[in-house]
Amino acid sequence: MLKFDLKKSAQHKPLFHFKGEVELQGICAVFGDSGAGKTSFFRVLAGLDNSFCGSLAWQGKTWQDNSSFIKTEKRSIGMVFQEPRLFPHLDTLGNLKLATKKAANSLYSITELAALLDFEPLLNKKIQQLSGGQKQRIAIARAILTGPDLLLMDEPLSSLDQHSRQLLLPFFKKLSEKIPIIYITHSMQEVFYLSNKMILMNKGEIESIGSPQALFLNLDLSLAKHKHSGVMVNVQAVHWDDEFSVLHGLIDQQAILVAIKKPESLQDLLIKIESKDVILATKKLECSSLQNCLFVRVEQIEHLPTGSVLLTLNTGTQKILAKITIKSLNELQLQVSQNIFAYIKAMSISALDS
Amino acid sequence: MLTELDYSAIILTLKLAGLTTLILLIISPPLAWWLARSRLFFRPFIEALVALPLVLPPTVLGFYLLISFSPDNFIGGFWLRLTGDTLAFSFQGLLIASLIYSLPFVVQPLQSAFVNLDKDYLEVAATLGFNPIETFYRVVFPMMLPSFIIAGALGFAHTVGEFGVVLMIGGNIPGETQLLSIALFDHVETLQYQQAHLLSFGLLTFSMTLLVLIYGVLQKRQQSIIHA
Repeated sequence: MLKFDLKKSAQHKPLFHFKGEVELQGICAVFGDSGAGKTSFFRVLAGLDNSFCGSLAWQGKTWQDNSSFIKTEKRSIGMVFQEPRLFPHLDTLGNLKLATKKAANSLYSITELAALLDFEPLLNKKIQQLSGGQKQRIAIARAILTGPDLLLMDEPLSSLDQHSRQLLLPFFKKLSEKIPIIYITHSMQEVFYLSNKMILMNKGEIESIGSPQALFLNLDLSLAKHKHSGVMVNVQAVHWDDEFSVLHGLIDQQAILVAIKKPESLQDLLIKIESKDVILATKKLECSSLQNCLFVRVEQIEHLPTGSVLLTLNTGTQKILAKITIKSLNELQLQVSQNIFAYIKAMSISALDS
Repeated sequence: MLTELDYSAIILTLKLAGLTTLILLIISPPLAWWLARSRLFFRPFIEALVALPLVLPPTVLGFYLLISFSPDNFIGGFWLRLTGDTLAFSFQGLLIASLIYSLPFVVQPLQSAFVNLDKDYLEVAATLGFNPIETFYRVVFPMMLPSFIIAGALGFAHTVGEFGVVLMIGGNIPGETQLLSIALFDHVETLQYQQAHLLSFGLLTFSMTLLVLIYGVLQKRQQSIIHA
């Protein structure tokens, strides 16, 4: 359990207020716009910023309160920064060995991590010879080698190539079974793939804590007003169409086409449907290029400050969001509990890691 | 050819420079660290005090040291009671003077290295579980090693080349306070130009080699680490 109530103000104006508690199991994502305070939140958790007042406790141990402050080196945390921050005077192996100096019990050895994260050939290379993605993988290994009780990762994949991402995402998931991870990301796909819990930050505060699905569908939260609001939906894979390079799948028994790269094996996938990509119709459309039509029920209609409307649509067991203009809403005379058709271009659907 | 006195002057000079460098390499890092990081209002005064020997005529420094080494004054009197010996015209006196005189040459390269040291690395060290002392010897020292060598080399070379202060407080006691630069001066005064040439050329070669090593190798290596 991580409990925090931390405040910082400048010139009598509150800058940040992080308040909440979260049971850490697996990966907890921290999501929010740039400038929402995600990195500041991390720095105060790690003890790298002592300018906050308030209290912070982890597993019943007080890390910070009015009279005490446990320093970073005593918190037993591993940290992956946005930049790799490897020591330039050491080679790869030297950097990794340094991390083991104070490690009580690391889950993996250097050799094991080198195999898992695919950097065996790099062990004797100088840091200056490595690419950005390679450095970041080493930095991740370094954080794990300290044998931490808690891992903090600040957008670890943001500067990484496709190969590294595909390697690391499943690894993080597996790792989180043993070490709880708090994970800052901008990517909705990463949130849904990795985490079962999410801390939503907005304008220097914790806006909400909950499951990603619930938070993204909650129209009262800042996420719904976001330009790229949308949700992740589970698609049951049915078969791969080699002729047209599309995947046939099902959302609540309704057929859907997804344009993705050919998967190695047929497996269910998570797709992202942005609310602005959903077209609503009260009658079936004919003669259009639209490939996906879902029969849905309008569950909620929320007016946004920008003059648009956000509708929550139920496909059966899952939900999607659609953003339309007030003009469209009035012309179609849409109402709650009405059954309508939702169209989505196959090309505007993105799957995890594509 | 060099006389026995010349050799003993060379050995004494090396001993003095070695000891001075060793002591300065112990006291300078904390001082340089504080100068690089502190925002206290009196930091510039301490910084100026450390840098003073760079601009002050050595004879001025030597004069004040001579006065304070006098047994009538606090420092000289204290030393006399402690050891039964006077500080002026002794090796210990020379050592104290050299420490003051060469301090800025050791502190300044270190200070500039610490200013250039990215705080990010110190944060990483803390997340690896290192306390400030461990961070210093496990991260800062190895990372800034070229600067430490530069600092030591400059301190050493500068002590070897010391003349004004030595003349004021050391006198010219062979084997005790007669250093290389004084021996050279003696040779010139007594018109022994051949020995003067030998000593001068030796010092010139030594200094030149050291500086080429510092600017050509060490400084480059430090820069490549800092800007990696």
